[in-house]
Amino acid sequence: MVNPILLIIAPLSAAFIIPLMGYGLKRIVKFIPPLVMGFNLVVSLSLAPKVIKNPIIVFLGGFPPPFGINLYVGPLGILFSCVISLVGFIVSIYALNYIKQGAEQKYHALYLLLLTGATGIVLTGDIFNLFVFYEILCISSYALVGYTGEKAGIESASKYLIQGSLGSSLILIAIALLYGKFGTLNMADMASRIDSVHTMELFFPLVLFITGMGVESAIFPLNAWLPDAHSSAPSTISAILSGIAIKIGIYALCRVIFTIFGATDILQFLMLLGLVTLLVGEFSAFSQDNIKRMLAYSSTGQIGLIVFAMGVGTQYGISGGLFQFTTHALSKSLLFLTTGYMIYRAGSMKISALEGMGKKMPLTSVAFTIGAFSLIGLPPFIGFPSKFMIVYSVLARQSGLYIVFLALVLAGTVIEGAYFFKVIQAIYFKGERKDDRAKEAPLSALIPVIILVLLIIGIGIYPKVLTSILDSSAAELLDRIGYIKEALK
Amino acid sequence: MDFLNNYIFYIGAFGLIFIGLYILLTRKNLIKLIIGLSIVDTGVNLLIICMGYLKNGTAPIFSRKGLNPETMVDPTPQALVLTSIVIGVAVLAMALSLAIRLYQHYGTLDMRKIKEQKW
Amino acid sequence: MRKIFSLIILIILALGVYICISEIPFGKPGTAVGNYYIEKGIEETGAVNIVTSIVLNYRGFDTLGEVTILFLASLGLGAILATVQNKTRGVITPPSLILTTACRFLFPFILMFGAYIFLHGHLTPGGGFQGGAIIASGFLLRYLGCPQKRIRQSSFVAIESLGGIAFIIIGLLGFTAGGFFLFNFLPKGVANTLLSAGIIPLIYIAIGLKVGAEMAGIIDTLIEES
Repeated sequence: MVNPILLIIAPLSAAFIIPLMGYGLKRIVKFIPPLVMGFNLVVSLSLAPKVIKNPIIVFLGGFPPPFGINLYVGPLGILFSCVISLVGFIVSIYALNYIKQGAEQKYHALYLLLLTGATGIVLTGDIFNLFVFYEILCISSYALVGYTGEKAGIESASKYLIQGSLGSSLILIAIALLYGKFGTLNMADMASRIDSVHTMELFFPLVLFITGMGVESAIFPLNAWLPDAHSSAPSTISAILSGIAIKIGIYALCRVIFTIFGATDILQFLMLLGLVTLLVGEFSAFSQDNIKRMLAYSSTGQIGLIVFAMGVGTQYGISGGLFQFTTHALSKSLLFLTTGYMIYRAGSMKISALEGMGKKMPLTSVAFTIGAFSLIGLPPFIGFPSKFMIVYSVLARQSGLYIVFLALVLAGTVIEGAYFFKVIQAIYFKGERKDDRAKEAPLSALIPVIILVLLIIGIGIYPKVLTSILDSSAAELLDRIGYIKEALK
Repeated sequence: MDFLNNYIFYIGAFGLIFIGLYILLTRKNLIKLIIGLSIVDTGVNLLIICMGYLKNGTAPIFSRKGLNPETMVDPTPQALVLTSIVIGVAVLAMALSLAIRLYQHYGTLDMRKIKEQKW
Repeated sequence: MRKIFSLIILIILALGVYICISEIPFGKPGTAVGNYYIEKGIEETGAVNIVTSIVLNYRGFDTLGEVTILFLASLGLGAILATVQNKTRGVITPPSLILTTACRFLFPFILMFGAYIFLHGHLTPGGGFQGGAIIASGFLLRYLGCPQKRIRQSSFVAIESLGGIAFIIIGLLGFTAGGFFLFNFLPKGVANTLLSAGIIPLIYIAIGLKVGAEMAGIIDTLIEES
């Protein structure tokens, strides 16, 4: 059996090795990230069937929890780690020819560290360890947003840094308070003791956790950094930030709310937060004329949808939320990757500058359209089953309030459709391009795009491939007692 | 008086955190914001250390024979603080480097004037 | 207006803090986990400094993350400041002979003190991070006292990477020897002697050199900018 620790160690050691390769091996540095991420993908996929039956618990240093740190590799962790390594693999292939500016080697090392942080968060079973990996994820995101040294990147990176590190400080305060109360840092141990304390005292740490992790996952009042950071970074980084980084914030939030606190009473509040985030994101996206900002705001909207689905709180709803997470990770990275070369060829991020691209870059334009349709939720793409699951789970609650919420969510989807059609219309039906500069993207950019398109259509037609892992992941989140028993066995 | 005696360290820690938060909420100069972040960090570190405090406790090091383990303070928060200090240093270094670049681009560190990106 | 608003927010926060914290007694006897570390620490890890045994053995994985964060900071700093052109350095008045000589005289002693701190991390207060910071302060003194002299960045980078790789390799050796990543596989030795505590001194040497190189590299990059 492969030890899941390799999922964290492999990218980490690769990142340590990259600076050493500056002496004479500069040319092969860019092939390391696809290699490592491919390895991670294979390991995650091979672990998946075992993990669905029984979660794997890894003791680090050989000390059982709560004395040592443990990794809890359950279905949820493996689902996230599969998606992280898949998107990481695809985006790193795209980056082979795309990244030419700035400190190239450092880009690859930072990229690997970002994915290390994300994988560490989803696998660890210790709250302080989660915080350490969370910081790795955040700091590498700040560095990646600003690494080109351009005006816009530096400005948005500084704003991101101020807000993000304030959020991390809030999380650390919450961890300190919880340690003071329970004298343990292991999540399962903490969860088993949480009922011994009055709810009022737990309210404040919970609020701190939601605020702190809300910054990274861009939940509504805390999302000011997102459109700047995602639109001013190079497209590969936007893809990885939108596809992975913000979702990891949601994972951490769900872990804290469902597993540690077992706070099922605040789920309606979570739903409301998700709804507001969804509407704000979609309305702001509608009024943008810069395509990358539009996609970034659309990410906010999608995050809102995922949080909303998590807030439904039933097995089916959470499965739907996790499915939507997969959908968004694949579709949004496809959208960012396709716009990457369109912007490069058009020389501008304005939607009006993309007019007539449908003739000049046919494959890229079709891929963009597929990604957009998938996000809107049209069949036969992956977005359809995921949105359908969410809608179905809300209807299953059979309550008037939920129906009103659902109507608002669907209204948000309509707006989403409207602005995506605006772009598609500009690409295909408006204007003629005379310039010869606009030609099809190079092969290294087309391969990842085609892989993503195939995945989106394949899972869309046959969503059953994901059913078993989604169901057992949702069960893991809802079954606190099982989690505690497995981890402290 | 009893209250002060029991909670004076918490008051200090949260006092620092609130001073830092106040700076972050009201100031507009990037350097001042970074100072605010640093103060919040210090406050949090102090808070973590407080969680393991023991009245008349000694350091958890068995450097000679005859030390009573009963009077040693909780060592876990000290290990955590070591980590959190290092994280603070890393964030501070990143923030300062961004501030240097920002000043080269704009010639100012006033966040009100640096508004090329819409919020 | 903004100030009043912020004050109101802070007062609400303070109320939350009060409700939460009033139930955590101050100066209480230690927690179960902490007591376990104090009782079993020497026996299980061989280090008399219990904080060190937690940092490198019980919670060693955190420390790996921590080392990564410092590495990340120096990488990010280099990436952000890498593309600066026209490094015009202002005219520097050369320092006096006394200053340069004193700096040169002190420099090796500071390095030695740093090495002492990280070698004795398992016996006395201190460890890799503290020792590394002291080493970096020696470099800072060099930069301030003899501003003409530069140390080559590439050697810092090599030490950083090698330190990180050494940490991971020690962890993986533990994995092959005992089945756990970062397992303390070397003999623990007699407590309170220099050659004890298994892998702890080895990791601390790696961390000490790495942190020293990293902090010195950060200082170097920042000084080059100003």
